[in-house]
Order: sequence, then C-alpha cells, then structure tokens
Amino acid sequence: MNKASLEKLYLITLVGPPNSGKTTLFNQLSGKNFKTVNYPGSTVEYSTCKIQSKFGIQADILDSPGIISLNPNSPDEEISINSLYNHPEMGSPNLLIATIDVSQISRHLLLSKQLLASGFDVIVVLTMNDILAKRGYEVDENRLAEELGCGVIKVDGRTGKGIEKLISCVKPKLKPDSLENKNYPYKAFENISKEKLLTLYSDIERIERNVIVPISNGSQTNIKKANDKLQILNPSLKYGSNRPDERTLKIDRWLLSRRWGLLFFFIIMAFTFTSIFWLANPFMELVDEFFGYLSTSASELLGNTWYSDLIADGIISGTGSVLVFLPQILILFLILGLLEDTGYLARGAMLIDKPLSKIGLNGKSFVPMLSGFACAIPAMLAARTISNKRERLLTIFIIPLMSCSARLPVYALLIAFLTPADKAWLGGIALAVIYISSIIGSLVVAAIINKFNKKIINAVDSSSFILELPAYRVPKIKNVIRNSIESAKQYIYKAGPIILVLSIAIWFLTYFPNHSPEINTNGLTQEETVQMVKAERLSTSYAADLGKFIQPVMSPLGMDWRIGVSLIAAFAAREVFVSSLAMIFKVTDENNLQSSILFAMKDAVNEETGKPLFTVPTIIGLIVFFIFAMQCLSTVAVSKKETGGWRIPMLQIIIFTTIAYVFSFITVSFLNLVGF
Amino acid sequence: MKTASELHFGERAIISDIDNSHPSFRRILEIGFTPGQEIELVNSSSFNDPLAFALRGTLIAIRKHEADCIILS
Repeated sequence: MNKASLEKLYLITLVGPPNSGKTTLFNQLSGKNFKTVNYPGSTVEYSTCKIQSKFGIQADILDSPGIISLNPNSPDEEISINSLYNHPEMGSPNLLIATIDVSQISRHLLLSKQLLASGFDVIVVLTMNDILAKRGYEVDENRLAEELGCGVIKVDGRTGKGIEKLISCVKPKLKPDSLENKNYPYKAFENISKEKLLTLYSDIERIERNVIVPISNGSQTNIKKANDKLQILNPSLKYGSNRPDERTLKIDRWLLSRRWGLLFFFIIMAFTFTSIFWLANPFMELVDEFFGYLSTSASELLGNTWYSDLIADGIISGTGSVLVFLPQILILFLILGLLEDTGYLARGAMLIDKPLSKIGLNGKSFVPMLSGFACAIPAMLAARTISNKRERLLTIFIIPLMSCSARLPVYALLIAFLTPADKAWLGGIALAVIYISSIIGSLVVAAIINKFNKKIINAVDSSSFILELPAYRVPKIKNVIRNSIESAKQYIYKAGPIILVLSIAIWFLTYFPNHSPEINTNGLTQEETVQMVKAERLSTSYAADLGKFIQPVMSPLGMDWRIGVSLIAAFAAREVFVSSLAMIFKVTDENNLQSSILFAMKDAVNEETGKPLFTVPTIIGLIVFFIFAMQCLSTVAVSKKETGGWRIPMLQIIIFTTIAYVFSFITVSFLNLVGF
Repeated sequence: MKTASELHFGERAIISDIDNSHPSFRRILEIGFTPGQEIELVNSSSFNDPLAFALRGTLIAIRKHEADCIILS
C-alpha cells in the first residue's frame, strides 16, 4: 500500500480477546478493498479494508489478531501488541474499537481497561448480548460508559443492530483537529506484576457487579427463580451470569466424554481427511485437464519452436501445477473454518494435546499435520494457529513427511510394478503400509528434532496449553467462505510466483542445450517423431548431465542416471516423476500411460551393470525415498515464507533428503542381500 | 495445599492464590483464574490432560502442569 492513499484515510483498529465477536463486527463494517497484510518479517496477519461507503466515513479498518492482554505471551502476540501502537504498514490507529463478549464480561474487560489505561482512544462494543439475555441479564451500557470513561455500544452480531449508533460515535472521533493534541499511548502493561493484575481484576469485578442488571421488562418471577437456584448451587455468585452456556455443557458431555471423546474426534477428522480427497478430486482433474488442453492448444498454435515449448510446457504447465492444488486448499480451509467456527477445533486440540506434547508438539499441531496428507502448502499455512513459536516451527518442519496427495501417482505406479494385476488388494495393503510408515516416520523425526531443538529449530519458548473452549454455535458460513478464499489467494500470490519460476527453471534444465535434436525419422508417424524428439532432448539435456553427475550417488541404490533425472525433475513436484519416467523411457502411448510405462520399466536395463534396472529392491527403495525426501519446490517456497527465512527449508531439504537416501540405501542393500 | 489439578469431575472450589513462581502464572491470571473466583472441573481429554474448567462464564482448557499453579482454598 502506498503512503499517499493512506494519508487521506483514518485508521480504526479492531481489538479484542479471541472469540469476542471481533471478526463478525469487522465483516459488518467492511466494504471494499478487503485484503490481508502481513506484519513485515513475521506470519502475523491482519485483515483490512475500507469502511462500507454507506456509513460515510473515510477510514480503513484493521482486524487485529485476538489478544488477551497487553502483556505479550508469545512472539506473535508481541507483534500484535506492538502493531496497536504502530503498524509498520498501516501506521498508528486513530481509534481502537474494543470488543467485549458480555457473557464473559469480567475476562474481556481486562484488555479494554488496559487499553484505556495506556492512553488509547477507545470505543467499547458489547457483543453476544442475546446470550446474556437468555440468562435474564443485560449490561447497563450507560453505567459501563461512566465507569470506563469511553463510549460503550451494544451491537447485535446477527442483525447488525447497533452499528448505526456505533458509527455515530466513531464520526466525531475522526475530525482532523482532534488528532493534533492527541495523547500518545504508552506501554504500561509489559511484565505487569501480580499485585497490579489483581488490583485490576478486583476493579473489574466491582464494575461487573455495577453494570450487569436483571432485564427489567422480562418475566421477573422466572429470573428470581433462576437466581435463587443459582444462589443455592453457588452461594459465592452475586448474579447468575457466571455459568458457561448450558447447551455447550450438554454437547460437551458427548464430544468431550472421556470414553467417547477420542472416537468422535477420529470420526470427525477422518471425515475431514477423506473429504479433501474425494471432494477435491473432480475439481483437481478439471484444473489438470484445462491446463493440459491449454498447453496442447498453445503448442499447436505456436508450432514447433522453443518458445512454443517454453509457453506450453514451462509457463502453462507451471501455472497448472500451482493451480491444481487450489481445490484442495479451498476445501480444506472451508471444512477447518466450519469446525473452528462451531467451536469444535479448540476441543480437538485439547483432546490430542497430551500425546503430541510428548514429542514437542502441541494439540494445535494436529490439524496442520492432518492437512499435510492433502498438501503440505495449506498445512503450513494452517500451522499459524499455533501460538508457541517453537511448536509452530517444529510442526512446519515435519509437515513434508506427511504423505501428500502428489505422492499418490508415484506410489500407484511403483506399487503396480510390484503387485500382480489380479491381486489388486495387495496394492491397497501396500499403500496403507506406506501411509502408516509416513506417520510413524514423522513422529519419530519430530521427537528427534525436538531433542536437538536448539540446533535445528532455534526458538526457545516455554510450552503451554491455555485455550478457551468457546460456546458451540452455528458457523457463520459467509465469514468462513471469505476466509477460505483469502487463504487460497494468499497461496496463489505468495507461493505461486516462486513455484512458477522454479517450474520454468526445471523446464530449462530438461530442454537445453540440445533443444532441437536431430533424429532419424524414417518410418515414424508424426506423433512418434515428437515423442522421440522429446526423449532425445531430455537424454542430452542439462538435467541428464546432472543425472550423470549424480550417477555415483545413484549406483549404490542400484539405479542409474535415468532414475536420477526423474528424481531431479520430481523436485519441481513429486508427481512429475511419473511423466518424466515416461519421457525418458520413450513411452509414447498417452492413452494408457501407466501400463506402457510399466512395460518399459520391466524391459529397462541398468546401463552400468547390464542387469534389469527395476527390481523389487529398487522399487521398494524408491518408495522409501519418496516417503522421506523433501522434493516439492512449492513446499520449500511456503516453508521459507512461513518460517521467515531460508534456515528451516534448507535444513528440511538436507535432513529429509539424507534420511531418504540412507534409508533407501539400507532397504535396497538389505533386500538384495536376502536375495530378492 | 490443594491445587486445581487435583479436583474431581464436577467438583467446585474457590481459588485462594496463584503460584507466581510458575512460568505461566501471568497468563493464568490474565485469562481469569484470580483468587476468589470459583472454578469447576468440567471435562478433561481422554488422556486426563489437559483439563477443562468452568470459569467466569466460559470454559478454559489448561494443562495439568498449569493447573498446578492454581491453589485452592
């Protein structure tokens, strides 16, 4: 964003504890120019946009991440708090709107009180008034305004009632002259002492007793009864607003039941996990076919030239490889967004926290790890919900070990080679074994990395798990969709260009220097000629040189440079391994690619040893390699972005590829030794 | 000295103090576990850790380790 456009606009920042209705309010106020901005050099993100024009205010609003107090508890929280004082891209806010969920007013007042005491210009918005009303109480907003010394407005999240009143309160605050003798807020709450916090809380409790009143026009007797009941149950309560939502407690009796809780959890997660495959699959095929069609049309249109191949095979296919994961990313974020909005996701994290904490992870690591089975890219984005930096980095670190969907075509081919066609069930078992090994592998690696935390992750944070379990509610579909689309956009804008450039680089390596090889075309159809040219070009390309260069590394695995080239090509994206093998073994039948590759693979002979190239040991060795190797450049790009540097992605490449190679070597040697 | 991690399910108790030698004590206070407040152990994960407490109109899940710094009267 440029400075000139900012100067005309005021900045209003929404601030509040998690689950205080902040994002709902943001959506009600928001108009054009919705976008997310990063705090430079971090993964803390803000949604921002202009206030809806119908309100007649020229201002940007910024939805800041939920914070509990002005005393930071994690590096990300520190950034969130600092940006209230001054956001490097958005500037300092002219006004803060602080949200308070009135059903837990005593907890949420803490932040508002701290903001006011720090000298911020604040308007308080009270949300979830209907929940409190169900219990027969309401907040006297005038009395609260007196107590706090700032504007207090009730807003209904569902109907938007109160928004107009809020706007009329905001308007006078945004006059140019009111900004001149502005008090600059100061940081009063860093490392606040226990005594100060307790004084603050006892003041808040006094305010709470003063401002929460029984609804006067309701049925008085019922309230009295309810009140009496609560007083009997709990004599310390001065009023009846302190119980958690009854319906939530009832649902939790099942979903958090000590006996069934884990079962429900696994059913819900299994549904999430499988739907990222079956729901996304038709769309992914559609994207794939569309770009295949574009690529073919482009090369037909532009003829047989190098730039035609650059456009068709480099740029268009590269774009396709970015967009093919879009359906999975969208669906994954949709389902996770719905689960989060209902309130279940926090409970899932709680259920699985204990086992994960044993290996240095956190309950909140589970969802990113699960997402990793679809694609590591959305998985790494999902890791942002982990507030503890060390645990977040460790989660991102092991995500590439989850068996992502791009490995499936590779496994399908390799398993098909191993299993006879009439025993397809063997393939199913083999695939299950691969998935289970990848899970065990990642957990073991996490445990080991955790032991060497200081050297590898390089972030020290005392581990903690303090999480509010919000009341269950019907998800706000509109918000969920909007956030999913925004996450998908992020993926395209930020990871897309890097993936595209790297794809073109791989194309370059596999295309040059011998870009128009001379071959004997006698007796070949045109299609066969094209395939022969492609095969000849690849086998004399820089990639082939590279393959021959790494031949000494491949030999111990019983493989030769041709598999080496395919493995190098698979660094663009794993599924490229299959098409690259097809190219290198001069497979021309595009209609039945897999069976013709299998046929060619069975005939292939190791150019060094003269023995068959693809044997049971080398195939299993390749599978082991794919389980561990960090091959996907897109993942490297996202890992760099999400961890804020090259350190972790580089370590991932080195460590995972080494593990892949060593394990693959051990497997191949062992299988050869026992005489396969 | 009884702490919140020793509560039985459905048992209520009043917080008497927070152990300020605990690394998470400040966040525990900030989230609302303050002396004088009543808490109830409502749920736990199947592994008995973390624990979910009813407090100030909501449910908060914390690890046993953190519940240990909440001293009950």
